[in-house]
Amino acid sequence: MIPREVVVVAEHLGGEVTDTTLEMLACAHDLARSVGWRVTCLILTDNPKPFQSLPLNADKVLVVKDAGLGTPNPAAYARVLPHVLKDLSPRLVILGNTSLGIDLAGPLSFTLGAPVVSGCVGVRAEGDRVIVTSRLCGGKLQAQIEPGDGLTIVLLMPGTGHRELGMRDEVPPFEIRSSPAPLESLPVRFLELVEPKMEDLDVRKIPVLVAAGRGIQSKDNLGDLEALAKELGGAVCATRPVVDQGWLPRSRQVGRSGMTVKPRLYLALGVSGAPEHTEGMKGSDLIIAVNRDPEAPIFDIAHYGATVDLLELVPILTEKLREAKGGA
Amino acid sequence: MKIAVILRQVPDVVEELVISEGGRSLAEDEVMHITNEGDEHALEEALILKARHAARVTAVAVGGDEARDSLATATAKGVDEAELVPVPPEHRGDNVRLASVLGPLLKPAGYDLILTGVWAADQLDAGLAGLLAMHLSAPYVGGVVSVSLNPDRTRGTVHKEFSGGRLGVMEISLPAVLGIQSAEQPPRYVPVSRVVQAKRALQVRERAEAAQVVEGIRPAKLVKPTSGAKAEMLPGDAKGVAEQIVRILRERGMA
Repeated sequence: MIPREVVVVAEHLGGEVTDTTLEMLACAHDLARSVGWRVTCLILTDNPKPFQSLPLNADKVLVVKDAGLGTPNPAAYARVLPHVLKDLSPRLVILGNTSLGIDLAGPLSFTLGAPVVSGCVGVRAEGDRVIVTSRLCGGKLQAQIEPGDGLTIVLLMPGTGHRELGMRDEVPPFEIRSSPAPLESLPVRFLELVEPKMEDLDVRKIPVLVAAGRGIQSKDNLGDLEALAKELGGAVCATRPVVDQGWLPRSRQVGRSGMTVKPRLYLALGVSGAPEHTEGMKGSDLIIAVNRDPEAPIFDIAHYGATVDLLELVPILTEKLREAKGGA
Repeated sequence: MKIAVILRQVPDVVEELVISEGGRSLAEDEVMHITNEGDEHALEEALILKARHAARVTAVAVGGDEARDSLATATAKGVDEAELVPVPPEHRGDNVRLASVLGPLLKPAGYDLILTGVWAADQLDAGLAGLLAMHLSAPYVGGVVSVSLNPDRTRGTVHKEFSGGRLGVMEISLPAVLGIQSAEQPPRYVPVSRVVQAKRALQVRERAEAAQVVEGIRPAKLVKPTSGAKAEMLPGDAKGVAEQIVRILRERGMA
């Protein structure tokens, strides 16, 4: 009997596969090993060279090469992938729950008639069954889904797998194919990828970060957080909703679509801990979270937590730190 | 220029979420619904485009009676038309089904742009925007944070978010579907008095579900992730917690 196949759709930038891709490969490897399936890493690119000698943790690396695949244009990927996936006929396809993966989910689900499970934080197989665990409602609920026995597509949350297991100590067999579909005259053209502008400071380089979440309630309360950050020799960063309100510049945003930070101290104030945010900060050395909601998911990854009123805590903490320095 | 915005009702995650006895969905009578945050941003972006291009904006709300409130708010903010697609509570998180319902309703209207949030709080599947684009055979980009249209309105340039704060600049042919991540400015505020006024004068066109609907995935089981699994909780009042934090930082040479 031919073993079933798991296909990981790689993401890459500047000739390097992303951390999320390595995590997807690690998850695929774990699942495949438990039931004797095979893993194919699928790379869409205009230049296969950087990937040719990579020891990716897969049974095979399949590259689809075309000049139209030089950018992460979801429209180009969506045109190529259905052909390749129909040909490979896998049991499971793993995409990143990322900007690219989220855009591919609808077209692939519709074209291939396959269910897509997003927000996936775990996927396992029992016999021929695929069982997916997903987070929803900002991480406050977890769902177990059994999508049926046909092709299943999952969007794996970044940070789910062990990145270091995405590589192994040998280079897998490598195959290059040309694109099965023409990529001229797409209705979506990728013009350029713009690197972030550092409007004021680079939060990735700050050793102490005081993170403002929705729980700070008002822009007026940022002053107290700034004072606390100054006392700690750090700066204030924020979750997406705070930035979307225009309270802080986009350069201060931490999370999936913002910056990934690893400071010595991350003081999360009024931050619920939605996966979109935590994937950008969970590598911090020390995480202290303050949130009125004892069920807030941030407490799953924080080292220390408290449920007191942050607006009451912040000025007291600033004062206590000042006293500790002997500067009161 | 015609723009449609889809407004979905989703559980308010700030409130406590109660799982039903069957364990496969939320207890409907315990759930507080709000308009999906991404859809609020889609509405804001539509209103920005309305101002720039004298576009006509239709808000299409999906859900139950509370969806009428979102239409009243949208009307107070400046949309031109309000439509309601009643969807029973048990089907609201099913974007596969929703796309199959909305596709045939939206197609004949000839919208140049259809905007909705790229993500919904209760999402477990492929998401509405991409699926809807397939039903309408329209191009699609998600994760959009700004939209500008060329003078003849046959194409638009969008900024799409990628990780690490990068932005993809992309050109898309119209008509198109866009999954909005966030609008170019925070969603505008309207005073309650204006919403009440709009509610009194609200004219809603109610649309029936299409006969042919396709069902998507449903959870086999819904649970609350174990909270506080890792954090050591600091007891006491604000003063006591502050003292403990200082001590923790001192031990690490950070205070």
